[in-house]
Order: sequence, then C-alpha cells, then structure tokens
Amino acid sequence: MRWSTVVGLAVLALLIAAPLGLPAFAMTLLTELVILGLFAMSLDLMVGYTRLISFGHVAAYGLGAYASGFMLLNSSMPLPFVVILAALMTGIVAIGVGWVCTLATGVSFSMLTLAFAQLLYAIAFKWTSVTGGSDGLAGIPRRAGPMGITLLTTKTGFYYFALACLVGSFLLCRKLVASPFGAVLRGIRENEAKTLALGYNTRLYKIAVVAIAYAFGGLAGALYAPFAGFANTELLFWLLSGQVLIMVIVGGSGTLIGPILGAAFFLLLEHQLSSYTEAWALFFGLVFIGFILFAPEGIWGLATGWFKRGDAAAKAKGSLHG
Amino acid sequence: MSTLAFLLNQSVNALSQAALLFFLGVGLTLIFGIMRIINFAHGALYMLGAFVGYSLVRWTGSFWVALAFAPVVVGLVGWAFELSILRRLYRRDAHAFLMVTFGLALVVTEAVRLIWGPDALQVPAPKLLSGVIFLLGEPFPVYRLFLAVSGIVVAFAIWQLLERTRLGLLIRATSQNAEMVHALGVDVGLVRSCVFGIGCGLAALGGVLAAPLVTASHSMAATVIIDAFVIVIIGGMGSFLGSLIGALLIAFVQVFGNYYLPDFALAFMYLVMLLVLVVRPGGLLGKEA
Repeated sequence: MRWSTVVGLAVLALLIAAPLGLPAFAMTLLTELVILGLFAMSLDLMVGYTRLISFGHVAAYGLGAYASGFMLLNSSMPLPFVVILAALMTGIVAIGVGWVCTLATGVSFSMLTLAFAQLLYAIAFKWTSVTGGSDGLAGIPRRAGPMGITLLTTKTGFYYFALACLVGSFLLCRKLVASPFGAVLRGIRENEAKTLALGYNTRLYKIAVVAIAYAFGGLAGALYAPFAGFANTELLFWLLSGQVLIMVIVGGSGTLIGPILGAAFFLLLEHQLSSYTEAWALFFGLVFIGFILFAPEGIWGLATGWFKRGDAAAKAKGSLHG
Repeated sequence: MSTLAFLLNQSVNALSQAALLFFLGVGLTLIFGIMRIINFAHGALYMLGAFVGYSLVRWTGSFWVALAFAPVVVGLVGWAFELSILRRLYRRDAHAFLMVTFGLALVVTEAVRLIWGPDALQVPAPKLLSGVIFLLGEPFPVYRLFLAVSGIVVAFAIWQLLERTRLGLLIRATSQNAEMVHALGVDVGLVRSCVFGIGCGLAALGGVLAAPLVTASHSMAATVIIDAFVIVIIGGMGSFLGSLIGALLIAFVQVFGNYYLPDFALAFMYLVMLLVLVVRPGGLLGKEA
C-alpha cells in the first residue's frame, strides 16, 4: 500500500472513532469541519481542476441550505432524501448559472459568479415568505426516518451521516477527476484554446463542472441547515465565498484532499485564535497572504513534497546500497 | 411636490450617489487597466479612508484637512503594499492578485477594528455644507449637492490627468503595451506603484466624503466593494469612461429603483449587470471578452 492510502485510512479510522473520545463541543466543531471540508472540496473541482475561479461559491452553499431547510420545515420527507434532493436541485440551478457565467472567461467569470451569489443574497433578503427574509429559516429539525430510524436525530448520528457524505463525495470526485472527463477539465485548465482545437466543446465541459461543483457545494449547505438548525443570509454573504477560496488555496488546490485540510486548518485556527484575541481575522489574512507568496502549492503540496523528497532520498540510499 | 421638482431632487440625489461610486470604480478600473488585477481590498481602503478622515477631523478640527490628507495616507498604504507584495506576483496569473488583495482586505478591516474600536464613528459635515438648499422649492441636503459637484470635479480632473499630463500618457501607454513602454526606457514598475497608490487614494477620498453621510463603520466596506465591482464590470474593465457610465447607471438604478420598486432594487442592479455581460461580455466599453 502507498503511504497516502495508509495515512488516509488511519485518518478515516480516527474520524470514525472520534465520537467515542471527544467531548460534545469538539464533536460540534468536527461536524462543522466535515461540512466545511465538503464545501471547500466542491469548489476545488472548479478552481483546482478547471481553473474556473469562482468568487460566488456561497451560492451553492446557500441554495442547498435554504432548499433543505425549507423542505425539512414544510414537508415530512426524511432527512437523507431532503439533503440529496437539495443537492440535486442546486446542481440543476447551477446549469443555468454555469451557462451564463461561462459566457465570460478569466476575471470576468469570477465576477459573474460573484454577481449570481449576490443576486441570490438579494432574493433571500426580500423573498420573505419562503426564505424568512433577514431572520432566515429558524428551528430546522433533524427529522427522523426513513422507516422510523432515529439515528440521524442525534448529534453523533448526524456526524456519521455528514462524514459518510464527505467520504462518498470524495470518492466520487476522485473517480471523476481521474476519468476522461477529468482529463478534459485539466486540459481546459492548462490550455483552453488547445483543448478546444482538439475537438472538445470546452464550454459544455465547463458548464458541467460548474453544475457538479455546485451540487456538492449544495450538499454541504443542505447538511449545514439541519446541523445548525437555521439557514440565514449569512450563508450567502460574499465574504464566505472568499474564505472558502482561501481554504482551497491554503490547503492545496487541485488535490481534493487539500481543501478539506485547508478547511480544517482555518476552522481550528479560528477556534484557537478567537479564544486568545479578537483580531484572529488579521492573522487569518496574514497567513493567507503568506501562503500565496511563498507556498502557492498549499499545505497538501508542502506535505506531499516533503514526503516525496523523503521517498527520493530513501530510493537514492537504496540504490547506493544495492 | 411637482413632478419636475421630484425628478430634479432624485436626479441630484442619484448624482451624489454616483459620485461616491465613481471614486471607487475609477480607482479599480485604472488599476485593472494598467496591472490587470482586481483589487479586492478597495472597499477596505475606502473604509480606512473614512476612519483616517475621522481621526484627522478629531485632531485638526477641520474636515477640509481630512479631505486633503486622508487620501494621501491611504494612497501611501496602497503604494507600500504594491512595493512589498504585489510586485512579487506579476509573473503569476491574475487570480493570485485577486486572492492576495482579498487577504489585504481582511488585514485592513481587522487593523481598523483594532485601532478605532468596533463602533461606528460619527464624522460631522463642515458647517458650510450642513443644512438644506431649495431646488425648485423642495428642500435638498447641501452635502449631497456638494458630493455631486465634487464627483464632477474629480471626474474632470482625472480625465485631464489621463489626457494632458506625462503621467497620464504613461498610464495609457502602459495599459496598452507595458513591454513596449518598458523597452522605451520608462520605469513601468514606478508607473504601476503610482497608479495603485492613486487608485487607493481615490477610494479613500470616497470614504472621507461618504463618512458624514453614513458614519464611519466596518460594514461600509462590504457592501460598497460589490457595487464598485458591478460598476467596473458594466463599464468595461480598464475603461475610464466606462466606470463613469457604470457609476451613473447604477446610481440611477439604485435611487429610482428604491423609490418605485423597493423590493426589487437590490436584485435589479445585478440583473442589469448580467444583462450587460450577456450582451457584451467585456462590458459596455471594454475590449476584452
């Protein structure tokens, strides 16, 4: 087995065992981390694999959260159905978003995604009958079921559900980026004109990846609503888009696992720093600037680079002896 | 109120709004034109301008001193940022800038919170500009009229700077072909720092001017930066005239939208932007798609 598989399985085992050893507040933090990690990973499909820098990924998060919150409040569907349905709905809306945003390229694309997120923000503010306006949707239940299973109503049960969503999404995304579809995405990232010249309709691929990324982002949002018990306009505010982009870059874009680490890094940093100083966001910003300047490959890139050098050194040593 | 008086009042109101938006938009667009970067910290620097202005008013007792020096202070901050950080990134793609300036925005916002505290601060308008004036028999705040006029003055001044001065010549040349300008023996790096500093200074000017209207607060950055982006995108990135048109368009949409369709005013702005981009992906006067 490769070391990465070993480490991955070990981390997964730790995450599964976590509820046995961690106090309640730490479990809440860990659940939030799992959800944010999923959110950051979904953005990586666009940023890391296709170089579509979205500055409006909160649109996916907010859509998912509001959709699942609304369905949990106004229907009797069981939680897992609601969450998956909300994710699919987000993905379907994103086909339209992708169609419009891919009219532009580069920085204009970023700004268009931002505009869409702001449009949703404005709608969430004003469409009070559905979204609750500035109060948002409150008291979102973690409903029991299907078939009367009450596991998901508990905090631990919900944690396992979120973890399963994250692991499942990760495996799906990994398959996706390793597939021929993923190869075309990387082609677009490296040289869109060339990929187009090779006969791929790059625009369709871009719309597809936007829809897929939004669906996974929507899944994260759909999990957040029943986790927090509310969905409000904060979930659609543009600062969160910037923060999740930070998580992707600092974690290491184009690696899927990196953004999850990035989310963990920042959530823990925020948690630790905010207990010492009110100005944690200042350090947040400084750390981020530092990463862009000196370590654009991110945490995961630094770690794997370190391991690779270790491997190379070991090999060199082996060949000397052999 | 007669229809004519109402329209005049609302139009001057929209003009004053446009002036504030223009100060931000023109800085963004100048910086984009010459450096191909989007300055995400523009809103934070606008806010910094308002707070520096507050302190200057406190120390000197004069709004005019604040108006003159706050932009200089903030311009120097921007200039230092360009020298120390942005300069290292010119070989990287445009998104590195977007993200590094987002980092700067966080840092500036937090620094302001640390220095000036978490509360919104009142900046009084000078006596000369408080009170109301009558436009066709309807009262109108003098300060807003002053804003509209200063917007026109600044727009004219920047236009003259771009068209008539050597710096303006270099700015236009660099935005067209930086390598050629460099080959002709001009220090392009210096032009870039100057433009970045000027752009940040203009944002601060907007901040100081907005302070008596909205109080200096931490939330003033978050909303206004998005408006400024919308303006620059509608007008076409890098286009001076475009930012002027964009600012006027958005200000009128906001003011009249708020009056006639208050529920849709917020969304309306983004719809205008989406519409423009679908028809002309590069913006009204932009060259790039």
